Amino acid sequence: MRRRAGVGAIQKQKYEQERYKDKGTEIQENQFEQMTKQLEVFRINLEEFALKHKSEIKKNAQFRKQFTEMCASIGVDPLASGKGFWSVLGIGDFYYELAVQIVEVCLATNYKNGGLISLDELRDRLVQARGSRKEHQEITNEDLLASAKKLKILGNGFSIVPISKGKYLVQSVPGELSMDHTAVLQQTSNSGNAFISKSLLQKELKWEPERAVKALDHMVKEGLAWIDEQGGEEPLYWFPSLFTACIASKT
Amino acid sequence: MTEIDWPWQYSFPPFFTLQPHAETKVKQIEAWKHLVINYFHNTNQFILDVREVHNGPLFYNSAIDRKLSPEIVLIILEELAKSGHAIPLDKIKQRWIVSWHTLEEWSDIIYSWAQSNGFIGSVCTFYELREGDNTTDQEFYGIDNDLLVRALKILENSNRAELIIFDDNEGVKFF
Repeated sequence: MRRRAGVGAIQKQKYEQERYKDKGTEIQENQFEQMTKQLEVFRINLEEFALKHKSEIKKNAQFRKQFTEMCASIGVDPLASGKGFWSVLGIGDFYYELAVQIVEVCLATNYKNGGLISLDELRDRLVQARGSRKEHQEITNEDLLASAKKLKILGNGFSIVPISKGKYLVQSVPGELSMDHTAVLQQTSNSGNAFISKSLLQKELKWEPERAVKALDHMVKEGLAWIDEQGGEEPLYWFPSLFTACIASKT
Repeated sequence: MTEIDWPWQYSFPPFFTLQPHAETKVKQIEAWKHLVINYFHNTNQFILDVREVHNGPLFYNSAIDRKLSPEIVLIILEELAKSGHAIPLDKIKQRWIVSWHTLEEWSDIIYSWAQSNGFIGSVCTFYELREGDNTTDQEFYGIDNDLLVRALKILENSNRAELIIFDDNEGVKFF
């Protein structure tokens, strides 16, 4: 016959539980302290490392990427740090400088693309503009996206439109693009052409004709699309920002 | 024929449709003005007939099968006229002079040539100016006669020259 639990047994169990709990907390605290110490050491090393390799970080894109990843892993954002140690490094400055150059390129090409430019074209022009002045620093699309994000604080006049995997458009005109307008750009880009039409939108996106017309008209009014009335039965809407000859043109 | 450095717009199909959006239209007309002047300069042409706009490549890009309608060509010509780079030759505005210099610019160019080559005080025929041995290296060599006369009349109005007719010849005397 099984012995029923007495008061003593219950008290003993309770006592043991408390002991476990205490021990658990103790271990946790120990670990936390340990971790904090390690992180602190890591941070100090990272700062030393950054200071030592300052110029390399600025010059080498691969290096820069790995460095920002290391920073992210311990919760340091060298871009956000305008004061203190990280500002001495000028890592943030690097991105702010890029941001200014991004705005410059967007303004300079606005007259032909209406304020919409592919990230690839933006990078090509930017690298060209920087020229040998910066000892040919490599600028990657990731660098551009990182600094373009900083430009968001300027309001909705500046935004990044993801088009497809790894492909982006940078929009630099006031007047936000809606989901529908983004969808039009994505559809156009994915088709491999620089034009789209009402019936193509109806067919590919299953849109009602009114919806397609509304979206296309808006993009014409924003100066992003040009109408072509010699392309067949219906008007075609062309985007200079996606048109190869426009992208490649020097002027 | 000289190679034309076609701008990217020339291969952009909607460039051949008048754009409804005001700002885009301004960009479009501006690009066309540049292209027209460049084309006429590079091919050394001066006369544009609105009825024959699709005879050459300028307003008809066969590669993308797009044509610029005579109505839009007229709009561009009117714009070029504002800056002095086009002059209608008839009242119904079908034949036009298109020129990469304005009349004032041409008159100055011709007068400085006369000055620096010792023709002040002498008479030159229009033919000599247009196709003579003394002007082969000049920008106005091969200039359209109508355009030449109009430029010389500006010199006449500012007392720098006088147009004269002698022995079935037309000429100009520089002062």
